[in-house]
Amino acid sequence: MNKKIGVYVCECGPNIPERIDIDKVIEELSSMGEVKTVKRYSLLCSNDGKKFLKEDIEKEELTHVVVAACSPKEHENTFMKVCEEAGMNPYLFQMVNIREQCAWMIPDKEEATSKAIKYIKAGVHRVLFHDPLKQKELEINVDVLVIGGGISGIEASLSLAGPNRKIHLVEKTDSLGGMAGKLSQILPHQGSKIKLVKEKIEQVENNENIHVYTSSDVKEVRGFLGNFEAVVKSNQENKEGIEEEIKVGAVVLATGFEMFDLKENPVYGYGEIENVVSALEFEEMIHSEKIELKNGKKPKSVALVHCAGRKEKGYCSKVCCLYTLKFAHYLKDNLPDVDVKELYMDLCLPHKQDQSYFDQAKEKGVEFIRMDEVEKIKKSGDKIEVEYRNNDKADKVSVDMVVIAPAMVPSQDTSHLAELLNLPLDKSGFFKELHEMLDPVATPMEGVYITGCALGPRNIPESMTQSHATSGKILSSLIPGRKVKPEVKVSEIKEDLCTGCQTCLSVCFYGAISYDPFKGVSVVNEAICRGCGSCVGSCPSGAIRSKHFTYYQLYQEVMEALR
Amino acid sequence: MEKKFKPNIVGFLCNWCSYAGADLAGSSKTDVDSSLSVIRVMCSSRVNSNLVLSALLWGSDGVLVAGCHPGDCHYEKGNYYARRRFALLKKIAEVLNLEPDRIQLSWISASEGKRYAEVVNKFAEDISKLGPNPLTSNPKV
Repeated sequence: MNKKIGVYVCECGPNIPERIDIDKVIEELSSMGEVKTVKRYSLLCSNDGKKFLKEDIEKEELTHVVVAACSPKEHENTFMKVCEEAGMNPYLFQMVNIREQCAWMIPDKEEATSKAIKYIKAGVHRVLFHDPLKQKELEINVDVLVIGGGISGIEASLSLAGPNRKIHLVEKTDSLGGMAGKLSQILPHQGSKIKLVKEKIEQVENNENIHVYTSSDVKEVRGFLGNFEAVVKSNQENKEGIEEEIKVGAVVLATGFEMFDLKENPVYGYGEIENVVSALEFEEMIHSEKIELKNGKKPKSVALVHCAGRKEKGYCSKVCCLYTLKFAHYLKDNLPDVDVKELYMDLCLPHKQDQSYFDQAKEKGVEFIRMDEVEKIKKSGDKIEVEYRNNDKADKVSVDMVVIAPAMVPSQDTSHLAELLNLPLDKSGFFKELHEMLDPVATPMEGVYITGCALGPRNIPESMTQSHATSGKILSSLIPGRKVKPEVKVSEIKEDLCTGCQTCLSVCFYGAISYDPFKGVSVVNEAICRGCGSCVGSCPSGAIRSKHFTYYQLYQEVMEALR
Repeated sequence: MEKKFKPNIVGFLCNWCSYAGADLAGSSKTDVDSSLSVIRVMCSSRVNSNLVLSALLWGSDGVLVAGCHPGDCHYEKGNYYARRRFALLKKIAEVLNLEPDRIQLSWISASEGKRYAEVVNKFAEDISKLGPNPLTSNPKV
């Protein structure tokens, strides 16, 4: 095929000609053999500009196009689309950045002009080596596997389920609701009490598009966005060991949290001393409306100990301050004479209503005691003594009952699922989001999302909001009837050069490469590959090629830089 | 009078952080030394030794590879691989009788336009002091 390259220099209004002599650029470029035409245009990204570009490509019958304008981050896609509309393969296009990285950073006009010429020539040489890549389209399954039947998983399932989308909700225990289902009441300013969880469970059970698997584990998950296969194993009495294979398009991990095991640290005396209870046990007491000591009497004084396990785990669990405040309110409201002391390291009252909730507790007579650390909880006669240290000063309180608020820790399944799906964990053992701010529910595996306390401690409204975020991600990427478009600029492995050393497998963060033991070579799954090129950089035999960033393409740019 | 030596430097910038940082340097109208020619790659880990060494063997006076800060890689770990490779490349440079300082690895985020200018200007200055690449200036090599 005869290659005909068109070079278009965008003026970007006054931005580029102010610093770059475009006439000189055109003169230099016109002398290049492969270049059929060089033209300038005032604003190529405008509607008129795009029309001009499209018509000119057609008129000149161009095979390759180079646009010298702003950063490719701004308009690479715009011009690729124009090329496609003009009947070209959009990958036979190269964008050259002569605005940000040339006109705007080199003050001397002559220097900037020769730099621009260099960059554009590099673009021309590079584009000659471009391959006409094709955007693939894959059929998708829009169903979703939700792992974990707590409030996060329930909320994700409810917001995703619909006539076109079936949800498989897998819960390891025998009932839905998770930790939120065990709470006696939700904070007053968060609306209704336990009703919320009950109502949600009912909605799930009545939703014909949600299939619930209780007492079940997910044993296997493999695949990629739009095409996952999972194996769910039942542990139910009559169905024990029965495995079911399900096909889904996305996976939501809502595996929640567990409570820090208070027996891990003997200072709390948990499990040893009577009337030292954990927050969850106290929730049960509220639930059954029986706040009693072991001897059946009502407690006259209660110490609420915050921050158990915080030092060991290295993070604040964020919700304990509020639920212990809830306990304090409950105690004061239901046992009017009770003396309530809250022992805390730091008070975490992050929401706008929290401060008044705290102030009300103070008004009711709850005593707040700041401490650095609990030294020992021990029995002393009929009483329990909580010895603590504050600013190197030892002190103690003497009470009838101690309620300890333990840290929230990752649920046991977290590490197993992380291994199964090749997902990273943070240093506390929770799942790690792709980006805390920019992509807080996504993972490196496209199509696998995380929500709720599986990511770390958070309250019920936050967990539910995150579930909506995961649903948003899934609803916008898996649309019934549409196909997914995987990354085009992926890696490919030349089988005859591959020695099967599998170095690439160890560097691929996405698990996109597997080893074919029969052929003795590594194989790229193009649907998973994101095109970073780590494998290309690591391949000792040069068998891997990064499409659109091949050695020859980059080499052209290097050579032009050195000319 | 002898003309002042202006080095020829190749800079591989990762698409997500450093290339965006360079764009920011431009859009904030920061002056950047023009001896560096930018080549965009998706990740600093894509830059294999072959590319860096080709550039040096063909006469580049210096090679800069810039990626996201540790922990910020768009592809999670790519910059760590680049860092490991660089430790090795420095040794190879010595074998080739090149000053290891002719190759540099830097972390420049998308918000560090000013830092991009500083890194490039400093690198260009250092390379100017080192003088031309001995592989090209000495025909016997």
